[in-house]
Amino acid sequence: MWNVVKSVLAAFFGVQKERRRQEDFTHGEPIKFIVVGILLAAVLVILIAMIALTAAG
Amino acid sequence: MRAMLAWVTGMGVSWLLAPAALANGWNMPKGVTEISRDIYSLHMTIFWICVVIGVVVFAVMFYSLFRYRRSQGAKADNFHEHTTVEVLWTTIPLLILVGMALPATATLQRMYDPSGADLDVMVTGQQWRWHYEYMDEGVSFTSSMSTPTSQISGEEARGENYLLDVDNPLVLPVDQKVRFLLTSDDVIHSWWVPELAVKQDAVPGFVNENWVRIEEPGIYRGQCTELCGKDHAFMPVVVHAMEQDEYDEWLAERKAEAEAEANSVDREWEMDELMERGEQVYGSVCATCHQQDGSGSGQFPALAGNDQMLDDVDWHKDVVVNGVSGTPMAAFGGSLSAVEVAAVITYERNAWDNDTGDVVQPSEIQEMLE
Ligand code: HEC
Ligand SMILES: [Cu+2]
Repeated sequence: MWNVVKSVLAAFFGVQKERRRQEDFTHGEPIKFIVVGILLAAVLVILIAMIALTAAG
Repeated sequence: MRAMLAWVTGMGVSWLLAPAALANGWNMPKGVTEISRDIYSLHMTIFWICVVIGVVVFAVMFYSLFRYRRSQGAKADNFHEHTTVEVLWTTIPLLILVGMALPATATLQRMYDPSGADLDVMVTGQQWRWHYEYMDEGVSFTSSMSTPTSQISGEEARGENYLLDVDNPLVLPVDQKVRFLLTSDDVIHSWWVPELAVKQDAVPGFVNENWVRIEEPGIYRGQCTELCGKDHAFMPVVVHAMEQDEYDEWLAERKAEAEAEANSVDREWEMDELMERGEQVYGSVCATCHQQDGSGSGQFPALAGNDQMLDDVDWHKDVVVNGVSGTPMAAFGGSLSAVEVAAVITYERNAWDNDTGDVVQPSEIQEMLE
């Protein structure tokens, strides 16, 4: 599971090692990546909203 | 090779010329408010960051093109990825962008904070002029372009402030926080004065806010900057900023005029007075559509020799006071005073050989407005 999270974060950042990419595409089910992707996207949105709200005071 | 050298030289020369061009009025103005200077320095900072990045990136590119050219036996290196480099070229731009966003956001925040204003001015866009109302002062007027049509048609040489002159400029005191409430009576306009760093849409049915604190007395010019129809190019903005005591004097005069006008509604007006006043109003408000000589054009009906209008005074009054909904003919009962409406109607009924001899009294219009 931790590997899935790391891969999703790497995708957010836009850089991934070729070795890890091959691993992701040969092991595990796609649904995990989708669910973690949606969850982390929500976290990102909340994070940005919180930064904006604190900045706006 | 030669073409490339020429290109590189050309680039170099333009970098050298850039500061000269900036100094020559090609750049945005520094302006006369704290916010405008902040925006200017943000603009210049970001500009120079872009210049440095551009120089570095292009230098590396041209150096590589030249150093590793095929004629010298250079061979392409075939590798797949380089995580460290990729991380670097993602992180560095991110840091640069955040570094630019922080001061820019701080400035935006101050721009969007109109609280604690000393003076409120309602700015209303109308096809094709601006209407200013000093809230709580009972002073309001329209501001129309005053550049003569003979200059626009080319019969006369262009004046110094061609298309940037108005009959009644917006007068503001310096060193006071002035809040603008912007809206429109018809379509979307946008009120823009570069020296004040204000560019704000005036949208029908909405009220937008903006503010200035002008630091130097002077005359600042701008234009409507949202395409709004046939005379979009002919609705300039002129702001006359003056010292507080001068402004107070101006305001007192305007107030006295407004009061005198309000008091004069009830008295009987002479034909001559109404004609004189009506001609002014017609020229600054109605002529853009119905033409100076009342001949109309396109969808704007002729008023000279308009039988329906001449036969039916009540209809004429109703059209001018209440407008014709769904057409560009606005309800002028809201933006003109009773005296102005009565005068312009009297004018239309007697100018251009219309000669009906009808006099429409301000008191009649006042009744319709109540
Ligand atoms: C933005 C353009 C515009 C301006 C400015 C304007 N009008 Fe009009 N006016 C029209 C149009 C369009 C009509 C025709 C409306 C219709 O279709 O019934 C009209 C119609 C009229 C009519 C009725 C004539 C007829 O035959 O329908 C009168 C009278 C009139 N305008 C007077 C005025 C006066 C007085 C002013 C200035 C205070 C003025 N207008 C300013 C666009 C304008
Ligand atoms: Cu406009």
